[in-house]
Amino acid sequence: MTATQSSQLLASLFAPFESDERLTVLHIGSAVPETVEFFSRYRSKLFFVDIFSELPIQWDEESDLSLVQQFAEILSLPDDTQVDICLFWDVFNYLDSDSVAAFLSVLRPHLHSKTLAHGFGVYNLKNGQSGQYYGIESTDAIRARTRAAMLPGYAPHPQSKLKNLLDCFNFDRSVLLSDSRLEILLSTKAQSIGKSRIL
Amino acid sequence: MIGSSIVIKGTVTGDEDLLIEGKVEGTIDLNSNVVSVGQSGRVSADINAKIVNIEGEVTGDITGNEKVVISKSGNVRGNIVAPRVTLEDGAIFKGSIDMDPGEAAVKKVSLASDKPSGVAGSDSAATFDLKSG
Repeated sequence: MTATQSSQLLASLFAPFESDERLTVLHIGSAVPETVEFFSRYRSKLFFVDIFSELPIQWDEESDLSLVQQFAEILSLPDDTQVDICLFWDVFNYLDSDSVAAFLSVLRPHLHSKTLAHGFGVYNLKNGQSGQYYGIESTDAIRARTRAAMLPGYAPHPQSKLKNLLDCFNFDRSVLLSDSRLEILLSTKAQSIGKSRIL
Repeated sequence: MIGSSIVIKGTVTGDEDLLIEGKVEGTIDLNSNVVSVGQSGRVSADINAKIVNIEGEVTGDITGNEKVVISKSGNVRGNIVAPRVTLEDGAIFKGSIDMDPGEAAVKKVSLASDKPSGVAGSDSAATFDLKSG
């Protein structure tokens, strides 16, 4: 099942960029038709990184892979990639504090001073998981699709904690949605980007 | 056409359209033609073609001089470079997509002016700006 949801923040995500500017976009989740269709009108490079399919992500005792190493494998962004737009969707609702830190340590070298990001948090922690995944339909609309099965590891963070966890981003705007979800717009903190990860 | 029982290892080149229902490993280089990977096609190769249509499985990088279409039964793992890419509902794709529709197409649309910002919808209940510290 699919549904279109309005978005008040997506337009702000794209506003700083010129229409003929080449965009590098990180879409967390499986590739969806509408995101490809939306960006096919622009000079763009899309990276689809499906963290959701790797859940739950935790320290693997057998392989002795640290969380950072696991996220480095999952992201696998080329070293010279600088991301302009991050579409996190609701991934932080499925990552614990250590995993968020590991994820950001891998992502940080790929951020620049004008990188913007979009995501979903929750306003009410008691809310169950939406069971949806998302794509961009237009600059003011998101297409939500129902997942075939609920995902493991759903444990959303309070907004104040999420702000602390996402320490390389400023929370620029937040919109409370009717189902107690939060739509958030993020921008990079200039002083915290570009630091290399430690494996 | 490469039939479903055919296995090719090496470089495929030529000057005509190609439908692959069998297995190909190596490189497919048909710059001016259409390459179609049918539902039973299994390709482990980089593909260069004018148009690439995928209904089967492809592992490798794909360059489409005109467009690349991944159908609902398609499963692609690799990086795509093409002016235009279409992913049908149900298609599986893992990798990156590099698109450049050309100057004329880009000028028709503007990221910022595609739709006005702050369009109210039934899904939004309240807005509050957070000043970051």
